[in-house]
Amino acid sequence: MTGKQRKQVWNAVQLTLIMIATFIMLVPIVWIFLAAFKTHVDVYQLKLFFTPTLENFSTVFDDPYRLGEKLFNSTIVALVTVIFAIPIATCAAYSFSRFRLRGETTMLVMILATQFVPAVVIILPFFVMFRDVGLLDTRLGLILVNLAIVMPFAIWMIKGFIDGIPMDTEEAAMVDGSSRLQVIWNIVLPMAAPGLLTAAIFCFIIAWNEFLFALILTNKNAVTLPIGLALFKGEEGDLWNLLSAAGIIIMAPMFVLALLIRKYFVQGMTMGAVR
Amino acid sequence: MRDNTLKYVLVLPAVLVVFATAIWPLMESARLSATVGRLNRPGSLDQYIGLENYTWAFFEEPSFWNSVWVTGVYTLLTVGLTTLLALGLALLLAPGGRLRSGVQTLLILPFAMSPALIGVSFRFMFNPEFGLFDAFFGVVMPPLADVSWLADPTLAFAVCVMADVWGWIPFLTLVLIGGLASIPQDTIEAAQVDGASGWRVFRDITLPQLGPVLAVVIILKSIFSLKTFDQIFMLTNGGPGTATQTLSHYIYFNGMKYGQIGYAASVAWLMVIPMILLTYLYAKYVFRKN
Repeated sequence: MTGKQRKQVWNAVQLTLIMIATFIMLVPIVWIFLAAFKTHVDVYQLKLFFTPTLENFSTVFDDPYRLGEKLFNSTIVALVTVIFAIPIATCAAYSFSRFRLRGETTMLVMILATQFVPAVVIILPFFVMFRDVGLLDTRLGLILVNLAIVMPFAIWMIKGFIDGIPMDTEEAAMVDGSSRLQVIWNIVLPMAAPGLLTAAIFCFIIAWNEFLFALILTNKNAVTLPIGLALFKGEEGDLWNLLSAAGIIIMAPMFVLALLIRKYFVQGMTMGAVR
Repeated sequence: MRDNTLKYVLVLPAVLVVFATAIWPLMESARLSATVGRLNRPGSLDQYIGLENYTWAFFEEPSFWNSVWVTGVYTLLTVGLTTLLALGLALLLAPGGRLRSGVQTLLILPFAMSPALIGVSFRFMFNPEFGLFDAFFGVVMPPLADVSWLADPTLAFAVCVMADVWGWIPFLTLVLIGGLASIPQDTIEAAQVDGASGWRVFRDITLPQLGPVLAVVIILKSIFSLKTFDQIFMLTNGGPGTATQTLSHYIYFNGMKYGQIGYAASVAWLMVIPMILLTYLYAKYVFRKN
């Protein structure tokens, strides 16, 4: 074989491997999409071609499943978590980025470390406390504990964005007599806005997909979508067509959001360890 | 306000939130782990018994050691497989171009999927009667046709590992592609001009340069593997028996189902110890970078 031929063969092998990998990656997702449009008869067969129906999507919103309530809970919980987290994180991130603080490294490591504490350790005391003060099965309770998981991501991610904004504009404005708070409001926030939105979307996805806290803290009124998946068990086992329809409702909006911020996804997850 | 005061005022709310949502629960868990701690017995949450919960876990509970073993094997397998496969995929996709960038974009999808949903979808795929993967394995390896995957301890464990690896490969691949992109191309080109084979270039140039990113990826994945809960809960709920009961699941079961919150807190604290070590390693990489 000549060098050129070898290169062609090697290229074909690579393309084949990429195709196989893509196929494996997409199959479970596509299969859920298909199953969501199947009737409860078709879903128990390995059919690729079938007459699609939208019935599952209306059934999941009806009694007894009432997925609409879970959708509402998920949206409120994730949204309010983000509304609290982003301003608090932005203030901290600005300070970490622009000033030298006493114990700065310790604080940053602590913030980083809280992300790695198993959720199950955090939730035990909260369960006891919420039981005593009546916050079990409330959206407010869920929002409070969700802050625990999104804050570290938000702080580190926004710090990364502010680090990237040059300081000279700020300094010039200070020389012209602006106060530090004016500088933050008039200069830094507008420049950091795309970064803040990215961090907000990232945190929204994390809060939306959160499972363990909601499993332990809610049972009826504040149940979120991922916990709602457990509803679709019939007498003969799982109702796969309904589960799949609910699955689409959970994942499709997150796919759209994730694609919007795809360039920053890695940076967010690794908290700046990899850029 | 002077900058010197302002800088501390700005971090205060965040520090308070982190304290209330992470440091306090950690301390409170430590306290609970020293109590009788039964959810249904008022007063037992303040009834101290020293380290009895810990010695109970170590010496009286084989199910504790079972979940340590399950979590250990699960972590080793998922970290190893995910890293290797993601490295392979990253090398395949790194050159760029239309097709490869397109696939890179798709990689985001599994990662945006709720882990609980990944668990559900794998339970669906491995259903012995109408599961797609079950049908596939039945064709490739006929002895596995119509096996009740999730009823067999070993196979159920294997399915959990597969679901985990499937869910994490995309993220690790994206990180490694980023790492590959930051390796200077001229050294590689120089080696190629000198006639070095593809394998030599990979082993002697790419791999050493990728080292730090690889380390970050392995530490991060180890942390997430050790914590695994959502998928297992939806996929096997720890079963059959306790064959797939990870530590998180064991803690959840003892604390929430049996109401032994003191005992659960002690096991939870035992789990925090390897986390502290991993976090220390991770922080070292993060701060070397900045």
